[in-house]
Amino acid sequence: MPTLKIDGQEITVEKGTTIIRAAEKLGISIPYYCYHPGLSIAGNCRMCLVEVEKMPKPQISCHIQCQDGMVVQTQTEGVKKLRQHILEFLLVNHPLDCPVCDQAGECWLQDYYMKHGLYDSKLNENKVKKSAKAVPLGPTIVLDSERCILCSRCVRFTDEITKTNEFGIFNRADHSEIGIYPGRELNNKYSGNVADICPVGALTDRDFRFKCRVWYLQKTESVCPGCARGCNITIETNQERPHHAAGERVMRLKPRYNDDVNDWWMCDAGRYGYKFIDHDRITDPIERSEGMVRSVEWKEVVESFLKSFKKLLKESKNEIVVFISPQMTNEEMYLAKKLFTKELGIERVFLASTNPEGDQDDFLICADKHPNRKGAEWIGFQEDKREIKHIFEEAAKGLIKGMIIFGQDLISFYPDQNVEEILHRLELSVFIGSNHNLTSEHVQLVIPAATYAEKDGTFTNFEGRVQRIRPALLPLAESKPESEILMLLARKLDLDWTYQSQEDVFDGLTRSVSQFRGLSYKKIGMQGVSFHH
Amino acid sequence: MIRTKVVSRPKLSFWERIYFPEIFRGVALTSKHFLKNLTLHLFHSIGLFRKVAAMVTIQYPEELWKLPFRSRTRHRLTKRADGSPRCVACMMCETVCPARCIYIVAEEHPDPNIEKRPKSFDIDLGKCVYCGFCVEACPEDAIRMDTKILDIAAYSREEMMLDMNELLNPSHKSGLK
Amino acid sequence: MITQIFIQSVLAFVMIGFVFNLAALHTWIERKQSALIQDRIGANRAWIVLPWKWAAPINWLLRPFNVLGLFHPIADAIKMFTKEDYVPPKGNKFLHTLAPCLSLFFALIGFAAIPFGNTIEIGGRVINLQVANMNVALLYIFAAASMGVYGVVLAGFSSNNNYAVLGSLRALSQMLSYEIAIGLTVMGIVMIYGSLDLQELVRSQGNYLWGWIPLWGIILQPVGFLTFLAAGIAETKRIPYDAPEGESEIIGYFLEYSGMKFGMFFFTDYLETIMIAALATTLFFGGWQVPYLNETGFQFPWGASIALAPLAVSLLQILSFVLKVLLFCWFLMTIRWTLPRFRYDQILKLGWKYLFPIALANVFVTAIVALVMR
Repeated sequence: MPTLKIDGQEITVEKGTTIIRAAEKLGISIPYYCYHPGLSIAGNCRMCLVEVEKMPKPQISCHIQCQDGMVVQTQTEGVKKLRQHILEFLLVNHPLDCPVCDQAGECWLQDYYMKHGLYDSKLNENKVKKSAKAVPLGPTIVLDSERCILCSRCVRFTDEITKTNEFGIFNRADHSEIGIYPGRELNNKYSGNVADICPVGALTDRDFRFKCRVWYLQKTESVCPGCARGCNITIETNQERPHHAAGERVMRLKPRYNDDVNDWWMCDAGRYGYKFIDHDRITDPIERSEGMVRSVEWKEVVESFLKSFKKLLKESKNEIVVFISPQMTNEEMYLAKKLFTKELGIERVFLASTNPEGDQDDFLICADKHPNRKGAEWIGFQEDKREIKHIFEEAAKGLIKGMIIFGQDLISFYPDQNVEEILHRLELSVFIGSNHNLTSEHVQLVIPAATYAEKDGTFTNFEGRVQRIRPALLPLAESKPESEILMLLARKLDLDWTYQSQEDVFDGLTRSVSQFRGLSYKKIGMQGVSFHH
Repeated sequence: MIRTKVVSRPKLSFWERIYFPEIFRGVALTSKHFLKNLTLHLFHSIGLFRKVAAMVTIQYPEELWKLPFRSRTRHRLTKRADGSPRCVACMMCETVCPARCIYIVAEEHPDPNIEKRPKSFDIDLGKCVYCGFCVEACPEDAIRMDTKILDIAAYSREEMMLDMNELLNPSHKSGLK
Repeated sequence: MITQIFIQSVLAFVMIGFVFNLAALHTWIERKQSALIQDRIGANRAWIVLPWKWAAPINWLLRPFNVLGLFHPIADAIKMFTKEDYVPPKGNKFLHTLAPCLSLFFALIGFAAIPFGNTIEIGGRVINLQVANMNVALLYIFAAASMGVYGVVLAGFSSNNNYAVLGSLRALSQMLSYEIAIGLTVMGIVMIYGSLDLQELVRSQGNYLWGWIPLWGIILQPVGFLTFLAAGIAETKRIPYDAPEGESEIIGYFLEYSGMKFGMFFFTDYLETIMIAALATTLFFGGWQVPYLNETGFQFPWGASIALAPLAVSLLQILSFVLKVLLFCWFLMTIRWTLPRFRYDQILKLGWKYLFPIALANVFVTAIVALVMR
């Protein structure tokens, strides 16, 4: 356990810790470009040079390990001057195209130049033009070689994290250039991350390119709903200037560091899988009767639902089936359980989902494409395929009168069951979901629900880690979060529910489901808590 | 300790207090102007003393006030040599605009050396406060406020919107669209 | 009898025509005079230009009118008549309509007693150039003028608006404080000439002091004239006595009026101005008298004389009256564009504490002097 002094402050760190890490713990920020805590040390940008006593030359703090009795200086005149001149070197061939560069606003060159720059440049030589300007490297990334400062983060990422080895640095010295090996394409499942780790505007995201300036974005911490992993993400939205992306609100998703789940990364499927939040949404309640389709008010849709629902409840409680979606939050599932099973006594409440047989790898991507199957299981919803098939058979015989479907597309899940016709035959068929799908086209009542980006709540990932999502947006148009819809129905059914917020609901959940016992939003925080807490 | 300064009311003299001489003085002043200007107008009408002005009025639509060189007037977008807008849609003006009256949508430029260009560039003159920050912020000298167009009026808010075509080719006569 | 009615009707028609047109012209005078005083040019945008080629000479003739802005009163009238006539929903519709009519009516009827010329003889019939010849003309005019405040009070009351009521209350108390003073100021004149008949008063002013100074009211009653003017302007409710209107503070009794009803109040102001001008002319500036002109022609004090036909003499006298009235209108307008508005308490203070005592003292002094002179 070496003890050292950085800028006069003493700290004891574990053996093997680098100076830059130790300084970070003290709250001293040392500028760097090539260093990335998730990648190997390259030490080529030289930005993190510090003075270490008894060492003849300045040392790169990202590489030098702390030793007992070290005295490190990060703010001396010498260090400051070094930074200025290193920045000057890094900018030798860097073009001045910040106005058109998508990185502007979150560019490390800009930030450090403001802080450490040598404003009076001494260089007068012509810039060496690099070959590639705005060249797509694959489906997700655009390369601009001119802007590259050759930190080699992207090279190390593809070498060490994805092990796909697409990137390399070609040519020598002033002519060095980043690029893709001939005949290759940057198309691995995690390619979007290289735009995140690129400290400058050399690698930019094709999906985000020119959509919106980064300083317009509002950031909300959330969890990716794309698979059972539950990668921690930041939802970046543009709500104040809707003209930029034709009214689209979510501009991009960025991975958020979580040591226990996804480190600094996320997969492309999750990163670009946000389009459903603004596209193809169910905006208004819809009522279908005798071939007529019309948008209605909330009041009307709730009234027509309650009319048939109450009748069915009274006459044939066993002929109602509820399908819960694993896209729902723990809180919503708990409310659904409480409403349908405990309060109303409906026994046939099932989980409906796609088969967990999707794409899978040993890094982040899970086969199960639903974020909250574990939570559903804990709360008490099982997906019994055989039982569901049995129900469809019964329904085909006319023995089922009502179906309430949360979000999931039953018609495409059970293609051999003729669900479409069954839905038309029912006395009451309700779809509560955020986006249009086949099933929502064939039910009597469609109730618009919110997406995860518009809700507060928690997901439980496949390892049993409870993680928090937060509303980044207001529900689109007339939609409401499922929890609100369930509370509305409960109120209309004269149940005495007094939940004020999702936190209240979660409180109820912790008291009734053993796996959640002892948890609270405060404990979960933004990093989540594992079941084995 | 608060320092106070006593400001006494000006004392009126006797002649001021009885008011009539003061009225007379006022009437004399206004009458002087009246008679002087009336005489000058009469002389002007027969072509005499035209150089001595009888009024300070500028007959607006016919006569125009000469605008100072640096006055800020309606915006325009400057062009490149080939006639396309210089603007690269960097959103600096849109960001700095305190009235939020600038609406830019960016798109890819076919030439990778330019890279970015505005797909649409609208200014809502109904919101603009003519502060000139957009001109200051522009890194490309793409927006200027030197058209000398001041008479901006429309019958609806929609008509107060300037689109990119109007901004590139400011037309005085049509005013707006 | 019928001829008599016909003659009186013609006289009334002439008087009303003159007064109405002068009042309409006042809008133009007001604009142009204030423009000249303030080194501006004034309204000149209401042009009538005929679009046809053959009408070029007509356009050439219309040009001076256009340039001078003389069609602005017409444009004003068109505007006033075509604007929305708004009655406040909770106001009293009948009184709201009645108020401007009353105002205008009482402002107009006073002119019946103003003599605008001596008698003329047409076809053997002697016609007195006065619409209503009565021996209490002065009393009648004051009565009519003080009735005018009824319109103002009703306007404020029927508008159901606090500011309007405030305006009419101000008008009311202002009227009370000045009506007394204005009555007293002319007492001196009445005592000297011994008549309330205006025609008689004007005739009496045809004498000369020491044979060459016309013995007009202003010579005998300078203090009376000044106090009359001060109180008279207060009667018109125009600046500097426009507290009842006070655009910048309460807007005034006609706050809820629009269109021609508002125009009628506006008109009343001008009519009252003309009335004060006519009254001042009649009482203090010899009415229709022309110095050294008698029934046969000019008779100058140094002995020279010019003989004139009786009709020419009458015309000269009418012209003299009109010119004097116009001059007074100009003077009142100058006052209006010179002085700022008095504060409300200053107006009442001036009325009660200065004008009234001065006018009273004037009556005493006149009485004593008249007693001594006799």
